[in-house]
Amino acid sequence: MKILLMGNPNVGKSVFFNRLTGANVIESNYPGTTVDYTKGYMRIEGEDVEIIDVPGAFSLEPKDKAEEVAAKMLRENRDATVVCVIDASKVERGLYLALEIMEEGYPLVIALNMWDVAEDKNIQIDVARLKEILGVPVVHTVAISGEGFRELVSKIKETVPVEMDKIIKRAGGEA
Amino acid sequence: MRKKLSEMLYGEEGMVTSIEDELKNKVAGMGIRVGKKLKMFTRQPIKGPVVVEVDGANTSLGLGIADKIMVEVEK
Amino acid sequence: MKLNVDERWNLIEKISKKTVTFGKYQHTLKDAVGELTVKPLTGIPIAVAILYGFWSIFGSFAGTLCTDGFFVKIFDGHFLPFMQKVFTGLPKWLYYIFVGDPLADNCFEAFGVLTSGLFLAIGVVLPAIFIFYLMLALLEDIGYMPRLAVLIDTVLHKIGLHGYAIVPTILGLGCNVPAVTATRILETRKQRFIAMTIMAIFIPCGAQLGIMEEVIPDTIGLVLLYLITGYFIFGFILNKMLPGRSPEILIDVPPYQMPTRRNVVRKLRMRITSFFKVAIPFVLLGCALVNVLYLAGVIEWLGNVLAPVFIGWFGVPKETVGPLIAAFLRKDLAVAQLSAIEMTKYQMIMAVVLVSIYFPCVATFAMMLREGWRELLGALATLVVTVFLYGGLMHLIGIVLGVA
Repeated sequence: MKILLMGNPNVGKSVFFNRLTGANVIESNYPGTTVDYTKGYMRIEGEDVEIIDVPGAFSLEPKDKAEEVAAKMLRENRDATVVCVIDASKVERGLYLALEIMEEGYPLVIALNMWDVAEDKNIQIDVARLKEILGVPVVHTVAISGEGFRELVSKIKETVPVEMDKIIKRAGGEA
Repeated sequence: MRKKLSEMLYGEEGMVTSIEDELKNKVAGMGIRVGKKLKMFTRQPIKGPVVVEVDGANTSLGLGIADKIMVEVEK
Repeated sequence: MKLNVDERWNLIEKISKKTVTFGKYQHTLKDAVGELTVKPLTGIPIAVAILYGFWSIFGSFAGTLCTDGFFVKIFDGHFLPFMQKVFTGLPKWLYYIFVGDPLADNCFEAFGVLTSGLFLAIGVVLPAIFIFYLMLALLEDIGYMPRLAVLIDTVLHKIGLHGYAIVPTILGLGCNVPAVTATRILETRKQRFIAMTIMAIFIPCGAQLGIMEEVIPDTIGLVLLYLITGYFIFGFILNKMLPGRSPEILIDVPPYQMPTRRNVVRKLRMRITSFFKVAIPFVLLGCALVNVLYLAGVIEWLGNVLAPVFIGWFGVPKETVGPLIAAFLRKDLAVAQLSAIEMTKYQMIMAVVLVSIYFPCVATFAMMLREGWRELLGALATLVVTVFLYGGLMHLIGIVLGVA
């Protein structure tokens, strides 16, 4: 099993990665340049699982080489489960990438990160409903404090690929 | 009134009416799409880029890119 | 099933309508600061202030506090005499390589692998790199860089880049090696080539800046002015000459954030270790190599052969050949070596600029090769032309102004 950590730039993904892996990072090419990936290990149910921090991207249709790397890493890891980190105060933009990944047939878990920021901005998200429509686990998290991480980790093995037409139906009608 | 995004004035709000095809996919991931409301946040001098607000997020676009997006400005 | 852009957005809006409610949003202080720092009227002065502050802290922390206030005292006062005493029994040539000049009373002039080599790496370069990366990590994690990119876009547009190229450029002021990789945030090959090439030629790294602060504090401003001017002149020319597109800026400008200690510490630790894995071996190796070449007489011979070019074209003494060889391994080492050569202020400025623009250090070289051999060859061709043209031009200006 392999996990890809994906998401838009500036959604707190690196803090997220640090929290998931603890000190288990094995390889890193100058983090913070946002163009190369970092690999590490996280523990799920007592098992060490490889996790890759993919460069931030807005879309799988790359507009620069960093996004190209992201799209390529997804293609090259056909068997991976994706954890998609979304800025909870900018859900729509995050869902765009998440849907693109799901369309490619990957099992996915959504982390609505920066939940506290969204609350400050008076943005309310019906997590249960979102989960129901998308058919994948959705967990709200605060990477800085660690809120929601235990739940997130417990969902990674549960998720399965979802067909788009089912989501469209559940969202109410034609796309 | 219809105008180019690059012509919007500081503080103006408008709705995107069309985006040139080659650009459509590029800006879609950042939340800029037809039918979306956006607000001019700042304009840099000497043909510099603009910064617009979409869904509470700020995005900076070069003037040449902003030329290819049409908006319907309110009022 | 795959959706197209419009279908996807339609679906998202449907989902969003059912699950997300946007309450009344109150503007916060953070938003106000966000606005002030990106609007040109206030943003540009603030950017200048931030960069100036960055530079002052860099100089006073690394140079004044750590190096002069601490390491120079330790190394010159205790370590050097100790090494000179302990190794007295060594054969002369070994002593020369590892300890250096037996009469030297400071670590800039001794030039042994274990004296100057260690002193430069630990006493000068480490504090410089530490403070540089600490401040950069803070600026990055706060979310300032994209704003700087927006403000500087117009200028960088003139050389075929766009504002976001400021990110690899500033990173390059720490170390060119990761900065080469960071040019990938640019869209086209043309842009990446321009950014990479003029950075490798004109942007001095943090280690070199640290040494320059130490050995030529009075003239460092002038050296930097020459380098920045060259950066723009040659960027402009490359942009005109090269085929290919230069797309405009299209970036997200995120809200400000409180940096987390964990993230900053981690980033800093990783960058510093990556840096030193490259730097320490090369500093020591460079020291050893140059000493061996001196002993073998190679440097003197090369100096005599190249003297007409050095003196006539660039206006620097022929002894500069030694530092230039070292510069291929480490630029910081080369500048330190220059400081031990007798020369006028004018010659010193010329020599430091020459060391900076001549050949990227070997580690940067390797990184550029990773980006593609055609890129590397192109960059090298540009480099040779640039060194001769710009070096000669500067000397010409010096002659015309009567300062040469």
